[in-house]
Amino acid sequence: MNNVIQLFLKFGVHILFVVLEVICFNIIINYNSSQRSVFINSANVYAGKIAEQRAKITDFASLKSQNDSLMHENANLIENMISMEYAEDFIPKSDSTYNQYKLIPATICNSTINLHNNHITLCKGSREGIRKDMGVVSSHQGILGVVRNVSPDFAHVISILNSQSKISCSLKSRFGHGTLVWNNNDPLRMNLESIPKHEKIAYGDTVITSGYSTMFPKGILVGKVESYTIKPGSNSYDIIVKLFNDPINVKYAYVIQNRYGDQQNKLEKEVVDE
Amino acid sequence: MNRVVQTNLIRFILIFLAQIWIFKQITFSLGGVANIHFLIYPMAILLLPIKTSKTILLILAFVLGMTLDMFYDSPGVHAAALVFTAYIRNIVIALLEPFAGYNIDDVPTIKQLSLGWFVSYVSITLFIHIFVYFSIEAFSFVFFFEIFLNTIFSFIVTFIVIIILQFIFRTKY
Repeated sequence: MNNVIQLFLKFGVHILFVVLEVICFNIIINYNSSQRSVFINSANVYAGKIAEQRAKITDFASLKSQNDSLMHENANLIENMISMEYAEDFIPKSDSTYNQYKLIPATICNSTINLHNNHITLCKGSREGIRKDMGVVSSHQGILGVVRNVSPDFAHVISILNSQSKISCSLKSRFGHGTLVWNNNDPLRMNLESIPKHEKIAYGDTVITSGYSTMFPKGILVGKVESYTIKPGSNSYDIIVKLFNDPINVKYAYVIQNRYGDQQNKLEKEVVDE
Repeated sequence: MNRVVQTNLIRFILIFLAQIWIFKQITFSLGGVANIHFLIYPMAILLLPIKTSKTILLILAFVLGMTLDMFYDSPGVHAAALVFTAYIRNIVIALLEPFAGYNIDDVPTIKQLSLGWFVSYVSITLFIHIFVYFSIEAFSFVFFFEIFLNTIFSFIVTFIVIIILQFIFRTKY
C-alpha cells in the first residue's frame, strides 16, 4: 500500500496524463465507431444556445446577401409567371379543372347607341379566345350583347340595344321566363316579353338572365321591372325593364366563355334536325 | 497571488470564447492543398504561470478540450491534443530555462520573459499541439502528407495571430 502511495506521489502527473488520454481516445473511438449522438456535441443545450446567439448576429450580418438572393428568386418567379401567361395557350387544358364559365376581359373600341340596330366593337378577338355567340357583360352589372363576328383582334358584338337581339331572361324568385328585346328608342329601357299572364309579378322585381341559352350563365342581373301591362287578347305580360347598367358609358366588358356551350348547341341542333 | 489567479481565469475564459466565436468561423481551404485552422486556444494552457501544478494543468486542459469538442463536434480530439500539450509544456519550459532560472511568479509572456524565449516556447509547443491535433483528427498516418501540410499552414497563421495578440494585450501576469 505504501508503495502505491509512493508511486502516485512520484508519478501522479504521468498517471493522470495517461488516464486522461485514455478517456479522450475512448471517446474518440466510441464516437467514430458508433456515430450515435453522445453528450459531447453541439446538440446539447448550452452549446446549442451559444451557437444560436452567434447565429443571430451572423444572420443579421448576412441580411443583405439574403435579400439579394430573395430578389433573384422573386425575379425568377415573375419571369415564370410571365412566360406561363404566354405559354398557357399551348398547354393542353384538363376540362375538369376549369370552371364552366370563364371571363375574358376586353376594352370597348367602338359602340353606337343612337341607331335602331346598335353594335359594339371589342378590342379583342379570336386570338384571345373570343368566339361567335358568346355573351358580353359589362364590368359592373348588366349585359351588353352577344358576339356576332370575330376577327383575330376584334370582336363585333350585337348590342342588346338592337332589334335583332333576343335574350332569355326570367324574374328573380318567380317562375316563368321571357325574352328580352329592345323595341323602343330609350337606351335605358327594354322590354321583356312572353312572361305568361298567370304568373304573378310586381313592380321592382329583378330581371336576371335565365341561363337557358349558352350565351349567359344563370343569374346575371339585368334590370328591374318598371311597369307592366297586359295587352288585350294577349296571353302574356308586356314588361318594361329599366336596365341596371348604362350601355352608353361602358368602357370595359367581359366576354363569357362557356366551356360546354358547343356541346349543348350541338346536341340541341341534332334534336332539331331530326 | 489572487490577482494572478483572477487574471489567468479571465484570460482562460476570453481565449476560449475567442476560439469558439471568432476563430472557429475562420476556417478556410488553401486552394485544395491544405485546410487552415486558427487554433489559438492552446494559449489558455501555455500562458498559465510557470509554477502551476502539473495536475491542475492536465485537468484544465482536459476540461477546456472537452468543452471545445462540444462546439467542434469532434468528441475527444481537442481534449486529447490539449492534454498532451499540457503534459509536454513543462518539459519545454525546462528545456528553455535561462541561466538565472525562473522566478516563482513568472508567467510565460513576452513582458516577463524575453521575446526570443517566448517565440521559441510558443513555436515548439504550438507546432506539437497542432501536429498532434491533426494526427488524432485523421486518426491514421496514411494521410501523413495532408497532416503535415495542414500543420505547417495552420501553425504559421496561428503563430502570427498569437504574437499579435501578445502585443495587443500586454498583461503583467
